[in-house]
Amino acid sequence: MKDTLRWSYAINAWNLRMDVFVRHEEQQRALKTLSALGFDHVELASGMGGRWENLGTPEIILINHGSAEGLLAFLRRAGISGVSSWCWDPGQPAEETGYAFLMTRNPADHDAIVEAAKPFVDLLAAAGGDQLVVRPAGSAWMAPPLGDGDAGIVGSLWNRVGEIAAAAGVGVSLHYDCLQPFHTEEQLVSLLDATDPALVGLALDTAELTIGGIDPVAFYDAHHGRVTHVQLKDTRFQDAGQEYLTPGAEATMLKGGAGRRIERWFYELGTEGGLVDVEAFVASLRAHGYGGWVVVEGDKGGNATEVAMLNSWFLQRRLGVARI
Amino acid sequence: MATKWSYMDHWVTETPQGPLPPSFNRAYMDRYVKQLSALGFQGFDTFFFYLPMLQGMYGSVPAFEHFLQDNGFEKITGIFSAYPYATKHTAPHVRETHDRIVADCEYTLRGIEGLAGVENFIVMPSSTDWQTEPVTDDKIKIMADLWNRVGRITLEHGLKTTCHFEFWGAIRTRPQLELFFEHTDPEYVYFFCDTAQHTIAGVDPVQMFRDYKDRCTGFHFKDTKNVDTTGMYRTAPDPELMAPDVQRWFYPMGEGGLVDFPSLMKEIVASGYDGWLTVEHDKAELGGGTYAEATCLAKWYIDNVLAEAQREAEAAL
Repeated sequence: MKDTLRWSYAINAWNLRMDVFVRHEEQQRALKTLSALGFDHVELASGMGGRWENLGTPEIILINHGSAEGLLAFLRRAGISGVSSWCWDPGQPAEETGYAFLMTRNPADHDAIVEAAKPFVDLLAAAGGDQLVVRPAGSAWMAPPLGDGDAGIVGSLWNRVGEIAAAAGVGVSLHYDCLQPFHTEEQLVSLLDATDPALVGLALDTAELTIGGIDPVAFYDAHHGRVTHVQLKDTRFQDAGQEYLTPGAEATMLKGGAGRRIERWFYELGTEGGLVDVEAFVASLRAHGYGGWVVVEGDKGGNATEVAMLNSWFLQRRLGVARI
Repeated sequence: MATKWSYMDHWVTETPQGPLPPSFNRAYMDRYVKQLSALGFQGFDTFFFYLPMLQGMYGSVPAFEHFLQDNGFEKITGIFSAYPYATKHTAPHVRETHDRIVADCEYTLRGIEGLAGVENFIVMPSSTDWQTEPVTDDKIKIMADLWNRVGRITLEHGLKTTCHFEFWGAIRTRPQLELFFEHTDPEYVYFFCDTAQHTIAGVDPVQMFRDYKDRCTGFHFKDTKNVDTTGMYRTAPDPELMAPDVQRWFYPMGEGGLVDFPSLMKEIVASGYDGWLTVEHDKAELGGGTYAEATCLAKWYIDNVLAEAQREAEAAL
């Protein structure tokens, strides 16, 4: 995409479950698809780790490609020139870390989380990536309500990771998702306030924020100085109130297992009935001189290729971004 | 040379009622057009039998074309008409059915009135080989007579009748192709080069273009991994889906097929051809593929591999 904003696409849309998107030719097809649609950078995402995370975890990427340069050569074969960012959830048990169940709200886990972050930071830096995008805390339903000290505890952890990342030339962005406990605008701001702006910023996800009841345009206007990363996608629904606290919300809420039975929450940009004012949001990015990556996401939104095509259409026809 | 790429209207997408064409409803059709638009296609080819559906969804066929234009397309570029299965009503090798076929073509021409300028009236010049056998010179001349008639009529409406040969059709070998073109009027009947179909039939599409470039008005850029060496073209009732040894005949460019697309591109540039180039995916869903991915991969191949071949050919001019 030729634009003053830097556009990337999240490759996780193709990695639907643990035993797909493993073969290199399958990954090449997805990368060529994104290249044909005008994207030249991708965002990686970690998962459960192990032998099938060929584009997910550092250890497995290195087994496949040998080095950061090998990874980049693999991407370039498809016309993708680099990695913008890498999403990592330290609370997701991974095979490489012995399926450790690490919680950012538990200070006793912080040393292990900092250690687990290092391979991501090192490979991301070597590949020329910009932001390590992290889940700041596990799902709200899995732990007690936030206490007065939680923002400080979690913030202190990410400051530590931010120091290591900064030394390698990488930023750390805390990704807001609609299930994590820093849910309201006040809670989110309290977490940001507990971090060092020089080391840690916010990954603003337009759909997740909207589902969580926060207007992404208004939030960005108010807090643009803390936003270091953007993920762009749409939604047709908002949390009706406390749905994110439903036990097993990953399935009961986000897969329609209970309650309102909404089986799909995330949609392509410009979807009919979409709640995100994408045009206004991108206009605000431009107005504030945003210099980070804008990652378009199509995850959990149906056929990854078809959604990517619609997202590219939106960028070209609604946002006026040239494909080539 | 500025190449112009169009898309031949085959597509299947997931709907609440299963995998179906985007004609499922207007919203799906709109999405399909937007998806093609995102890749930069400028032309749209469709089948004659889709015209009433487009009229119903958009109010008129020109209104559909306006929607295409709102999404970056130039126009509808080709209409595909065919009688693959010979019947007592329509069989190009049976002269008694020609009046009906001509009337059908005139009906289709009325269905596209008001469009910006469809260029190709693409036809399968024959029905299946197995229904036409024995394929004699006389039958090929009868088919030539039909398309001479149709070509004269379509030209009056600004469209060139252009012949798209199938590997399973009754005009498939190089001598049959030559005889057919010998007996058709170059003013009324043109050549449409489907790279995969010719390759499967054992005919080199690059050489076909080289030899008939003056009559060539279009291409279907699609690939194949098989040449029919065992007479599968005679499989009844349908060799495309029922051939005993090949379950899928057609593939996107760049997926390890037999067609030498860079060489064809260089021939196209060297010839000075300035018409439309068309991507076609036929039955892309076989074996778990999707039309969306096949189309993206084809466009990647165009933007990377064919663009390089084009640059090399232009430098050599």
